Amino acid sequence: MTQHWSPYWNPKVETLPKDQLRALQLKKLQTLVQYACTHSPFHRRLYEKAGVRPEQIKTLDDIRRLPFMTREDWMANQAEQPLFGDLITRPPADAIRYHLTSGTSGRQPLRVLDSRKDWSWITDMWCYGFWGFGIRPRDTVFFAFSYGSFIGFWGAHYCCEKIGCLTLASGNMTTEQRVKQIVELGATVVCATPTYALRMGQTAEKMGINLKRDGKVRRVIVSGEPAGSIPAVKKMIEDMWGGKCGDTAGMTEIGTIMVFECEQQPGGPHIIEDHFIEEVLDSDTGEPLPYGQRGERVVTSFGRSFIPLIRYRTKDLVNKVPHTHCSCGRNGDIYEGGILGRTDDMKLIRGTNVYPRAVESVVREHAEIEEFQIILTRTDNVQDEIAVKIELKPNQQDCWPRLRAQLSKDLADAHEGLRFNVDLANVGELPRFELKAKRLQDLRPTN
Amino acid sequence: MHDQQMDPLGRTVTKDEQELLALFRQLERLSQRTDLPPCALMNVKQAMVLMWNACNDLFLISEDPRGD
Repeated sequence: MTQHWSPYWNPKVETLPKDQLRALQLKKLQTLVQYACTHSPFHRRLYEKAGVRPEQIKTLDDIRRLPFMTREDWMANQAEQPLFGDLITRPPADAIRYHLTSGTSGRQPLRVLDSRKDWSWITDMWCYGFWGFGIRPRDTVFFAFSYGSFIGFWGAHYCCEKIGCLTLASGNMTTEQRVKQIVELGATVVCATPTYALRMGQTAEKMGINLKRDGKVRRVIVSGEPAGSIPAVKKMIEDMWGGKCGDTAGMTEIGTIMVFECEQQPGGPHIIEDHFIEEVLDSDTGEPLPYGQRGERVVTSFGRSFIPLIRYRTKDLVNKVPHTHCSCGRNGDIYEGGILGRTDDMKLIRGTNVYPRAVESVVREHAEIEEFQIILTRTDNVQDEIAVKIELKPNQQDCWPRLRAQLSKDLADAHEGLRFNVDLANVGELPRFELKAKRLQDLRPTN
Repeated sequence: MHDQQMDPLGRTVTKDEQELLALFRQLERLSQRTDLPPCALMNVKQAMVLMWNACNDLFLISEDPRGD
C-alpha cells in the first residue's frame, strides 16, 4: 500500500494562522525567559543589569526590552569560568552530547552541551527541513561529513534515522571513496557543504563517473556556507548531480538549523517560526527593520534546555520577506537569497564594500572555473588591492583570455566599478575544502 | 486517558492529541522511577524524550524543558 504523506513535518503548526503563531511564540518566549532567569546566572545578571523582569514580557514586542546576547560575552564567560561558564542551566552531568563551534572565524571555539531532550529537539528541527524538502523513509541519505566535535550534520544524521531513511555515515573516507559509495549504494540524497558537493562532483568527473547517469541522487542538501543559496552554485551542483539542490542554515550556538528550503523553492529558506523568533535589525542602531530590508539576524531559540539563547546577535546578514512569497502554505517567513553574508566578513576596499559571497556569486556564473581564492593586499602601505585567483577545470585553458576579461568586468560591475585583479592559478594550486571553505586571504597589515 | 482538554493557547485538544499526551505523561512518570532495571529505565527515558518532542512540536505542552 502506498503511504500518502503530508508535505509538512508538522502540518498543524506549520500552517497555523499568523496570529496564532505569534500567540504560540509569545507563550514560549515567556516560558523561556522565566526559565533562563531562574536557572542561568549569566542571563539573570544580564537582565538585572538591564532592569528587566520576566513578568514584563506581555507582548511579542516586549522582546525588545531584553538585552542582546553576544558571542563575545559568551566566550568571555567560558574563559572566566571554564569549561562551560555559567550560561548553562544544568549540571554538565545531565548532558549526553558535547560539541564545538567550527572555529572558522579564527576565534576560540564555543563549547556546548546538550541533554537528551535538547538533542532530540535538535534532530527534530532538521526533520522540519528534510521532510519539507521531500526526504522520505524510502530515501538513502549519504552524509559527506567527518563526524568530529564540530556539530555540522550530526543532527541531520539522527534526523534521517528518525524519518526512517537508510542513513550512510562517511566519516574519514576519502572523496573518491565517498563518490564510489554514493554510486554503489544508490544514495538518493547527498548532504554536504556547497563547496564539498562541487568537489565531489569534480572528483567523480576525474574518476570517469557521470553522477547524473550512474547515480540515483534526487536531492542534494547543503549547509554551512552562504553559497548554498547562490543560484549559480545551486545550478552547478544540480548539473553535476542530477538532483534538486536545497539550502539549509543553522549554527552551533542553536545546535541545529533554523531555516530550510521547501520543495517550492521560492528563492530562499523558510524560518521555523514555532521554534525560533528571528528578528532582523539594523546592526548599528539595533532597531527592527521592515520586510525587504537587509539587516542582522538576531535569534531566540526555544529548544535547548542547557543553553537558553535569547536575542543572540548572529552577525548574519539577511533580507526577510513574508511567507506569502511561497505557495507551499507554511507560515514561516522567508530569508530571500538565504544568508547573504556576515556583518564581520565585509571588507572595505578603496571605499567599496566587498562581501566574499557577492564575489562567489559572480565567479560561479562561469562553469569553466573549478576553484577560486580572494586575496587582499596593500601596496606601498596605502592602497588596498583585491585579486581573485582562478583555477580552471581541466582542458579549459583556451578560454582564459576571454574569461579573464569577462570576470574583471562582471566583478567591477557588481562592485561600483572597483578594479579586481584576476589571475590564473595552476591546476591543483588552490586549497580544497571539506567543511566550511576559507577562500579569502587578507594579507594586509593589521595596523 | 489523560484529561488535558486545552492546549497552552486555550484550543481544544483532539482525541489523538490526548492520547499522545497521556502516553508522554505515563513515560514521564516511569522515567522518574529509580527501581527499574537499566534496560527498562534508559529505554523509557529515550521513549519519553521522543514523546516530549511530539507533544512539544504540536504545542500541547509549554513547560520547563528539563526532566530528562
